[in-house]
Amino acid sequence: MSLNRIKIESLARVEGHGGITVDFKDGELSKVTVDIHEGPRLLETIAQGRVPSEVVSLTCRICAICTLSHRYAALRAMEKALEIEVPPKVRLMRDLMHCGEMIESHALHVFLLALPDYLGYPSAVHMAPEYLEDVQAGLRVKRFGVRLMELTAARSIHGENPVIGGFGRYPSKSELLRFKYEAESLIPDAERGVEILRNLRQPTYMEEGMTFMCTKPEHDRYGWVADRILVSNGQEFNAWDYHKLTNERVVPHSMAKRSRFQDKPYFVGALARFNLLGERLDGVAGEHFRRCYNLSWIRNPMYNNVAQAIETVWALEEAPRIIDKLLTHEEDPAIVAPSRDKGAGSAAVEAPRGTLYHHYEIAEGRVVHTDIITPTAQFLDMMESHIRVAAKNLTDEGDTDNIELKLEMVARAYDPCISCATHLVKVRGL
Amino acid sequence: MGMMASKTQAAKPKVGFYGFTGCAGDLLAILHCENELLDIFNAVDVRSFLMASSEVHDDEELDISFLEGSITTDHQLESLADIRKRSKILVAIGSCACFGGPQAARLGYGDWKERFKKVYGAVKHTVAKPFESHPVDEYVKVDYHIPGCPIDRYQFFFALTRLAQGMSVELTTFPVCSECKWNENECLLLNAQLCLGPVTAGGCDSRCPSHNLPCIGCWGPAAEANVASEIDLLKERNFSSEEIVSKLRLFGGAAMVRRFADLLGIKAEEPARKPRPKKVREPIVAGKAKKRASTKKPKAKSRTKKR
Repeated sequence: MSLNRIKIESLARVEGHGGITVDFKDGELSKVTVDIHEGPRLLETIAQGRVPSEVVSLTCRICAICTLSHRYAALRAMEKALEIEVPPKVRLMRDLMHCGEMIESHALHVFLLALPDYLGYPSAVHMAPEYLEDVQAGLRVKRFGVRLMELTAARSIHGENPVIGGFGRYPSKSELLRFKYEAESLIPDAERGVEILRNLRQPTYMEEGMTFMCTKPEHDRYGWVADRILVSNGQEFNAWDYHKLTNERVVPHSMAKRSRFQDKPYFVGALARFNLLGERLDGVAGEHFRRCYNLSWIRNPMYNNVAQAIETVWALEEAPRIIDKLLTHEEDPAIVAPSRDKGAGSAAVEAPRGTLYHHYEIAEGRVVHTDIITPTAQFLDMMESHIRVAAKNLTDEGDTDNIELKLEMVARAYDPCISCATHLVKVRGL
Repeated sequence: MGMMASKTQAAKPKVGFYGFTGCAGDLLAILHCENELLDIFNAVDVRSFLMASSEVHDDEELDISFLEGSITTDHQLESLADIRKRSKILVAIGSCACFGGPQAARLGYGDWKERFKKVYGAVKHTVAKPFESHPVDEYVKVDYHIPGCPIDRYQFFFALTRLAQGMSVELTTFPVCSECKWNENECLLLNAQLCLGPVTAGGCDSRCPSHNLPCIGCWGPAAEANVASEIDLLKERNFSSEEIVSKLRLFGGAAMVRRFADLLGIKAEEPARKPRPKKVREPIVAGKAKKRASTKKPKAKSRTKKR
């Protein structure tokens, strides 16, 4: 019997509902769509007419998992628009909170969402009896990320402590020191994720060349915040020229918009960051990168899981470095007031799953235009393309047993925001 | 197979976790309970929690269902009606499910279609028929509301523990102000900041004021709130009605409109009160005639069932 359609009904949730449909015509693959049925929220229009501080509280609620990346991007864009220069301590605190989010989000994805796939379990809870130490290690790392967000942002989800011009309150010296030592002690736990993934064979049925994109931090440092965007073809752009990179459009089968670069799909996320900036990684993370990296990384999205695992190690090394610098700034700076009530600003930051852009225009103290481009919306075309290659290769080879799971694994490797979900995929019959 | 499973799990209540339109923060807040997560999965029989497991049973009767997110498409409405039908107790978790969420901040202004077009242009979506965000209880009976953006894990544990033992749940009715006093914070209103603490439901441990920042109202309206007096107070402090209303609506959306429309000077709130007859039934009738019977009157259905 030949296939007519493979339908993955719900790539469950996290940023919403999505599915995968693969259609065949006369035995040939004809159409592949990643369908996003997430309900619309129209937050960009809700932002209109509101004061900047309200809009920051609003737009960070786009996503619970990337909430601090959204907040960071919003704050930077607003501060550019309002000509606010924040003191070094504020920037350090923001980088520290950003580490917390990376650690939490990556640990959740690597240990709880991706690993069960590789090891053949429906969830980490099911995996626990056999791999108890690994699950516990993952949970310890994740818990630390959650607590680091609570420390810096006042809450792990939608923390309101980071505001335009600074922070409402700063952690004490002793709190910071405790977090520094704890971060250092958790590095071996995070390395466990790298080791497991390194020793697993990565499937290759979806391999296809990709274009990568990420922010390019200054001074040859590895990092997640910058005004320059680097593309794997060697081109560089300013973050405020994000329109040239993203070319958003709407497709009928998705409530999420789609982006292309020079009319081609592209990849954003940990794998893009490592392919473009991996040479800059230092410390234990740098060692792991050099040991794991190979040429498949430029063709195979599954390595995004490995990149995330290594990036978690890097974040646990970076947090203590930031804390050391923070401790040299004794005074808690007051919140910086804006010097004007109008202007426009765009900013890019790396969310755990890729480059995130926020753009605001303000007139007479009110936000009049908002534009937000999320990582998942950017890489959906690339994901669709990899799923198409996978479906074609697998059906050409007659390897259709468990094909839904194999396609889901491709989607999951992207760690789409509709996917933190992905574990959760419900498959309906062919 | 299902029967065998239910036999061995006889003592444990069956629980489902579901998400609609929002940021997924309430379900994630539950996943953030790393230390207690396994206990939760031991104490109750989790039959559906897509965010945590791919093992899902979505055709069974449930003792308790927890729902986050607001309702914004015809598919969600069908799914909501189905969950209500299968659940003995339905709990709305988070400000989106309870009040419609930030996406309902303009509920009642009647400009939703215009705004939708602004965002998506003329593209005809094939995935689902979208409409303006409404809280869950505008469509089905909700037994308990646990507010928060996101929910607080301790209130969630409290509710789950009580419900799992067949007891009722009573959450805080006092405003953030009370918690702020217990935390001995300096009052930000005295400092001329636009703080919504007096009218916002407590339970967050006055998180923002404890960080020297005004309450933004993300837990929605408090049962014991004196909104009139808060508005007067803020006006005395020279905040404009427009500013005050904008803040009150951002997270309290539908509930604020419903309860305080007169005070807030909001007139055009008709559509918020009865979205069901027009906006929602239409797509279903136009779609599958067969499904009509099960989704037409979710509210009435669940009631009959209870009797």
